[in-house]
Amino acid sequence: MTLKDIYEWDKRSLERIKKFQLATKYKKVGIGLSCFVVLVMVALRFTEAEPAWIKPLLNNLMLLGLLIVSVSKEKIEDEYIVMLRSQSYRVAFLLGVVYVFVQPYVTYGVSLLIEPETARVEMSYFQVLTFMLLIQLMLFHVLLKKCHA
Amino acid sequence: MKNTLKVERAILDLTQDELAQRIGVSRQTINSIETNRYVPSTVLSLKLSAVFGKSVNAIFSLEEGD
Repeated sequence: MTLKDIYEWDKRSLERIKKFQLATKYKKVGIGLSCFVVLVMVALRFTEAEPAWIKPLLNNLMLLGLLIVSVSKEKIEDEYIVMLRSQSYRVAFLLGVVYVFVQPYVTYGVSLLIEPETARVEMSYFQVLTFMLLIQLMLFHVLLKKCHA
Repeated sequence: MKNTLKVERAILDLTQDELAQRIGVSRQTINSIETNRYVPSTVLSLKLSAVFGKSVNAIFSLEEGD
């Protein structure tokens, strides 16, 4: 394999990743999965037994559901929609970074007021990724609605 | 950038939806171009130009500050 082949393979892979999107029908699958996870999480609040494995599983399923919605195409995915999608990802990324900086200290401050003994500066990957995906989805939805007007 | 898309569309008696279908974009895209919220790509501009039978320069023009 020559250097040129590697370059070409790299370029093709990058193009495939850049264009990767799921069909519109998967959006419903993602929404359904996320809603199902929320319902199970709420139901678990009212039960005594909660196996240790279930929370990470539900967190991952929630992220998967949101990701599926996020990468599913609109009915007509034209250049304008692609631009709105890019804008929403950019804002979500920037706010995600700010969230990572600020949120642990906010949580710590609130914990200090309520339970000073257990107060810690911490944050999970689930919180950050859920925040970013939700911001992206909400912003994209708002931008789409705005152009309907 | 300003454009005469709305006028050209009216001349051909096309709705936003019909024009969108002709060039394979969403109605929202046409609406956004007409209201100057979005500047289309060269490809889309050429498609619009082909529908209206006019040059891109006749449909789109630069404004002061562009």
